[in-house]
Amino acid sequence: MADLGNISLLLALALGIYSATGSMLGVWQKSPQLVQSALNATYLTPLALGVATASLVGAFVSNDFQVEYVAAHSSLAMDTQYIWVAFYAGNEGSLLFIAFALSMMSALVIFFGSRTIQASLPHTNLVLMIVLMFFVAVMIFLANPFARLDIIPLDGQGINPLLRHPGMFIHPPVLMTGLITFAVPFAIAMGALISGKTGDEWVDAGRTWGIIAWIILGAGNLLGMWWAYTILGWGGYWGWDPVENSSFMPWIVMTAFIHSIMVQKRRGMFRMWNPALIIIAFGFAQFGMFINRGGPVPSVHSFGQSTLGWIFLLFMGLTMVSSFCVFFMRYSSLKSTRNLESALSREAAFLVNNLLFLTIAFVTLWGVIYPLISDIFQGEIITVGAPFYNQVNGPLFLLLIFLMGVAPFIPWQHASWLNLYRALMMPVVSAIAVAVILVLAGVTKPWAVIAFGLCALVVAGILREWVRGALSRHKRGESYPVAFARLIAGNRPRYGGYVAHLAIVLLALGIAGSSFYEVQRDIVLSPGESADVGDYTIKYVGANALERADRTEARAEVQVFREDNFLGSYYPQRDFYPAFNMASTKAAIRSTPIEDLYIIPGEFLEDGRAIFRVHINPLVMWIWIAGPLLFLGVIVALWPQKEVATAYARRPSGGTAASSGIVTK
Amino acid sequence: MDTVTIERNNPTWKVLLTLTLIAVIAVLFIIVAGCASSSKTLSQDDLEAMAQGIDKGLMCPVCPSETIDQSQVQIANQMQMIVREKLAEGESQDEIFQFFVDRYGAGILAEPPKSGFNLLIWIIPPMVLLLGSGVLTMIVLAMRRGHHGQVEEELPTASADMEPYLSAVDQEIRRLTQESTRDTTKDGPNIQSFEGKVE
Repeated sequence: MADLGNISLLLALALGIYSATGSMLGVWQKSPQLVQSALNATYLTPLALGVATASLVGAFVSNDFQVEYVAAHSSLAMDTQYIWVAFYAGNEGSLLFIAFALSMMSALVIFFGSRTIQASLPHTNLVLMIVLMFFVAVMIFLANPFARLDIIPLDGQGINPLLRHPGMFIHPPVLMTGLITFAVPFAIAMGALISGKTGDEWVDAGRTWGIIAWIILGAGNLLGMWWAYTILGWGGYWGWDPVENSSFMPWIVMTAFIHSIMVQKRRGMFRMWNPALIIIAFGFAQFGMFINRGGPVPSVHSFGQSTLGWIFLLFMGLTMVSSFCVFFMRYSSLKSTRNLESALSREAAFLVNNLLFLTIAFVTLWGVIYPLISDIFQGEIITVGAPFYNQVNGPLFLLLIFLMGVAPFIPWQHASWLNLYRALMMPVVSAIAVAVILVLAGVTKPWAVIAFGLCALVVAGILREWVRGALSRHKRGESYPVAFARLIAGNRPRYGGYVAHLAIVLLALGIAGSSFYEVQRDIVLSPGESADVGDYTIKYVGANALERADRTEARAEVQVFREDNFLGSYYPQRDFYPAFNMASTKAAIRSTPIEDLYIIPGEFLEDGRAIFRVHINPLVMWIWIAGPLLFLGVIVALWPQKEVATAYARRPSGGTAASSGIVTK
Repeated sequence: MDTVTIERNNPTWKVLLTLTLIAVIAVLFIIVAGCASSSKTLSQDDLEAMAQGIDKGLMCPVCPSETIDQSQVQIANQMQMIVREKLAEGESQDEIFQFFVDRYGAGILAEPPKSGFNLLIWIIPPMVLLLGSGVLTMIVLAMRRGHHGQVEEELPTASADMEPYLSAVDQEIRRLTQESTRDTTKDGPNIQSFEGKVE
C-alpha cells in the first residue's frame, strides 16, 4: 500500500511538472496541441493523488502500523469511522488532503475555464500547478505520509480525543478545502496578468471562484465555531485564537474582494485594485496554512505541530514577491477606463467597504504578530486575547453593518441626497424605533442597542426593496409569489447578496446577543439538589459511569424547570481518556430562538457531588441558522442566469459595453 | 461636502434634520438609561460577575491561549479562587491583575496593558484606519478629477493611455495650487497642454 502511495505521489509531481512546463512552452511556441496536452495532464493529477489518498486510507483500514503516520494517528481500538478524521489529524495527511483537493479544483477550473477564460487558461494552469507541485514536493521530500518505521509497533498511538466529534468530520476538511480554494481565484487573476489579458475577461470566473472559496472557508469557520461551542466546553464559539484568526483573515479579505469585483463587473473600474486584493487574500490563506502547520504563536489548535511552518512561510514570501512583480509589470495596462464620478456613489461606498474589511484584516494580523514584536523589542511575550479584538474590531464591524444597511441603496455613478433620503427614510426610522423599543424593554447596554438598531436598519432596507419590487411587478399582473420569484431571478447577484446580508445580520444578532447578555454560573450539586440560574431551575438527578475500551464516560442527568414547568431532562457528558490524560466534554444544550441553556459538566467529586457550569447564551441559535442562509444567498448569486438572459438584456444595465456583454452572455 | 450648498427650505433637509435630532435624543436616552441601571450597590451576584470578568482577563499559565475562565485545569481553578478571595477582601480589579502580573509577567493578562511600549498595539489600528481613510479620500478626489478631465465617457482608449500622465500632471498641479489657493483645478488639467509630453 505504502509503495503504491509513494509511486502515485511521484507520478503526481511528474504530471504537475509536465503540465506547468507544457502550458508555458505551448504558449511560447504557439502550439495549441502542447497546451492541450498540458491541460490534459492537469486532469490526471486528481487521479494520481486519488490513488495516493486511497492507499493511505487502505493503510489505515489494514492497521499497517509500519507506516509511521498510521501508527501515530490510529490504533486497533479506534472505530473505523474515525479513519476519516485520523487521515488529516497530522501534517502529512492534511498535506495530502490539501493537494488532492487542489488537484480536483484545478481540473474543474480547466474544465469550466475552457469557455470563459480561454486565452489566459494556460497561464492560470501554470500558477495552479506551481502551487500543487509545492504541496506534493513537500510531501515527497519533507513530510511523507508513507514514511516507514524500522520496527513495526504492535499498536498505534490512537487519535486525539478532541477530534472525536461529529464536527471534526467536516470542520477541518472544509476549512482546508476553503483555504486551498483561494489558490483558484488567485491563479485566474494571475493568469490574466501574466498573459496580458488585463481587461475584464477574468472577472466573471474570478468572481465565481472567489465566492466559492469564500463560502467554503466561511462554512469551515462556522463549523469550527459549532464544534468549539458543543465540545470545547467553555460556552463560547470564537476565542480570537491565532489559528482561528488565521482562517478569519483570508475570509475577510475575500469578502472585500467579492464586493469590489462587482464594481469591475458592472462598471469596469478597480481593475488594478481587484488583482492586488486577490493576491493579498491568497497571501493570507498561505499565512493561515503557515500558522496551522506549527507557526510561532501558541494556540489551542496546535494538533499537528512541526517546523514545517517555515517552509510555508518561505513559499508565501516567494508567492507574494513574484505576484507583485507580475502585478507591477502589468501596472500600466491596469488603468481603469472610467473614473469615479462622485464621492456619493455605489462605487465610492464599495471603496469604504474595502477599507473597513482590510482594516479588520490588518488589526487581526497585528494582534497575531504583536506577541513576536513585543518579544523582540521588549523581551516580554504579551498575550493578545479576545478583549483586544472585541474592542478594536467590534466598532469596525458595527460600521460595516451600517454600511451594509446604506450602501446597497446608493445608486451607481452618482447619487443625489434626495435618492438617499427616499431610500433610507423608512429604514432609518425603523432602526430608531427598534432601538427605542429595546431600551424600553430593558436592553440598556449602549453597544448592544446600537448593534441591534443597525441590524434593524439592514433588514428594513432589504425588506423595503423586496416589497417594493414585488409590488411593482404585481401591478403588472403577476401574482405575489411569481412577482417575488421573478424579482430575485431578474438580478441574482444583487438579490443573492441581499440574502447573504440577511444571513450576516443573523450572525451579528447571535454574536451581539451572546456577548452582551451572556449569563454564567458555576454550581455544585448533590444528587437530588437543585439550583437557580437566571429563571431556570436545574436539578441534578444523578450520574452513571461507563467504562469503554479507551475511555471512561461519565454521564449526568439533570432536569430543567422554569417557573415549575418541567422543560426536559438533559445529559451533559464528560469522557476521560487515560492514554492522553485528557477529558472531552459534551455540553447539554437546550436551544431556543430566544436563548440557549448550556450545561457543561465540570468535575464529578468523590462525595457524589458534581460541578456544573451553566451558561445562558441569548440568540446563539441564529448563528447556526445564518450558515445555511449564507449558502442559499451564494447559490442565488451564482446560479447561471441563462433563462432570464433576454429579459435582462432588454433592461438598461448601466455597465460598460464589455461588462454588460459578459453579464448577458 | 455638497450638503452645505443645499437651501434651508428644501423639505428633504427638514426631515433629515428631524431624523438627526431623533437619533441624538435616542442616543442620549440610551446613555442615560445605561447609567441609571449601573448605579447599584454590590451584591453577591455582582461580586461573582466581577470575578467572572476578571477570570476572562487572565490567561491560564499552562494552557496555550485559554483564559482561566475557559480552562478546566487545576491551576486555573486555583487562580479563580484567589480572584474571589481577593475580591471578598475588597481588592480592586487592577490590584488583582497587578498581583498576577507580579508573579507571571504581563503575558498573564488577556488584554495587552494600555501603557508603555504596549500602547503601540492600541495606537496602530486607529492610525491605520485614519491613514487608510486619508488615502481613500485622496483616491476618490483624484479619480473624480480624472473623471472631469476625461473628454467623453465612451472614448476610453485614448484617455486610458493618457491616464498615467493625466494623474501625474494632476498631482503636480494639486501640489502647486495647494500652497496658494484651494479653489482652482475644478476643470482638471487641459489635455492639450501635455500632449507634447506624451510623445
